[in-house]
Amino acid sequence: MAENKRVCCQPERGLVLRDVTLTAGSTCVLRDASLTVPLSGITLLSGRNGAGKSTLLRAMLGLIPLQAGEILTHGLPPTQARQHIGYMPQSVTDAALLLPAVSHVRAAVDGVRWGLPLRLRARREEADRLLALTGAASFAHRPLGLLSGGERQRVGLAQALAGSPDLLLLDEPLAALDQAGQERTVRLLRDLTERLGIGIVLTSHETEALSGAVTRGVQLADGGLHVRV
Amino acid sequence: MFEFDFMRHAFVGAAVVSVLAGTVGWFLMLRRQAFAAHALSHIGFSGAAGAVWLGFPPLSGMVVFSLMAGFVIGAEREGERGVPAQRDSTIGLVLAASLGLGAWFLHMSNRGSSLATTLLFGDVLGIDVPTLEALCGVAVLCLGLLAFLGRKLLFASLAPEVARARGVPARLVSVVFMAVAALACAACAEVAGALLAFSLMIGPAATALKLGLGPLAGIAVSVGLALGLSWGGLMLSWVTDAPVPFWIGLGAALSYALADLWRRFRSP
Repeated sequence: MAENKRVCCQPERGLVLRDVTLTAGSTCVLRDASLTVPLSGITLLSGRNGAGKSTLLRAMLGLIPLQAGEILTHGLPPTQARQHIGYMPQSVTDAALLLPAVSHVRAAVDGVRWGLPLRLRARREEADRLLALTGAASFAHRPLGLLSGGERQRVGLAQALAGSPDLLLLDEPLAALDQAGQERTVRLLRDLTERLGIGIVLTSHETEALSGAVTRGVQLADGGLHVRV
Repeated sequence: MFEFDFMRHAFVGAAVVSVLAGTVGWFLMLRRQAFAAHALSHIGFSGAAGAVWLGFPPLSGMVVFSLMAGFVIGAEREGERGVPAQRDSTIGLVLAASLGLGAWFLHMSNRGSSLATTLLFGDVLGIDVPTLEALCGVAVLCLGLLAFLGRKLLFASLAPEVARARGVPARLVSVVFMAVAALACAACAEVAGALLAFSLMIGPAATALKLGLGPLAGIAVSVGLALGLSWGGLMLSWVTDAPVPFWIGLGAALSYALADLWRRFRSP
């Protein structure tokens, strides 16, 4: 492990943090930190509880302002890079648990547009494709509230894949899963990176479950980012 | 019963309000904002009392007060998960302040109990043509805004954090939706009264959600049920002489109970 100041060099297609200072309340998450990672494979962002991993993911999405520096995806700042990035929060939606899972994915397919859905068939087909990709097709028509934690994760992944992003940011996707569930999720994530050619950045404490699947690790500690390839 | 103008007006008014309540109510329930629907109707009551005191039509006061409250509730800062952390407290305190003002307006207008009864329980049989035109105007405006918000509102309601990450202006959507909800509550209160506007907004929508239907089918069922409740209430009231809101409230609870039973029998 080593302090990373532009360790890797694929700035044009990568995720770039340049001289970033980021705080969450009174906690300093990053202080003048820089990092470049390619958008391929699985990148594990690790760190102790409260280090600011989720905050950093939210900053990458432009949901939290930086105190200094910039974050670029494909050379674009977060607000302009949104079509390239899919996101799954730590707690996959707990709203509208009575609605079928497929409705949650259909809403994500064209939910960034104003107005009423006009191309219903195309939207339905795209949602079905995403649910099939994440292995959620068999329970897509059951109410979200009746699904297990692992099944909800798959629905959340299908939502994150809406819009065909080439980078997925996943916040603790292995939390609250048993060992078998973690193994299935890790296999699915690896499968998605290979089949779709996308990159995944995820936070997790379950480093053992991820061993063998992770392309590179980034540790968030003491206001810096430390890379391990 | 249709030979009387007041009955024809009542049926048309109830139909307009049912379409509005069924649609807006479905989104309110989806977003877990039943308390907001309850509060907005009561806030409308205070506005109506103020309007009467100042010599304006009650509906105008309901609309103004509900809209102001809707903006305050909708504009609340969102928490980390995309949902306002203090939502219930904000709604409760806006409601408390409005009810205080309502009591003051009633006191000043010197028409205390009779006016309060009319505003609280509604006067669907007293709807005149100008009120009907105003209701239609409010309904067209609300449904138009809701159609415009459409996909973003649904996405932000189902997955607020993911929607914000994809660039949906969740706070703007929330504020505009609460304004729509405020207008809809005011319109419903004109027909069912401040106390029971809530039952028309929430009962059919809760039943549709309980049935586990997707958005389009759910809204259709919610509107159909609202129409069935309000028209059924008018007919039963004609036959039994019991007040319309009594039948609406009872029917709303009964339809939800039936949906719950149906789900229990269907679930493995």
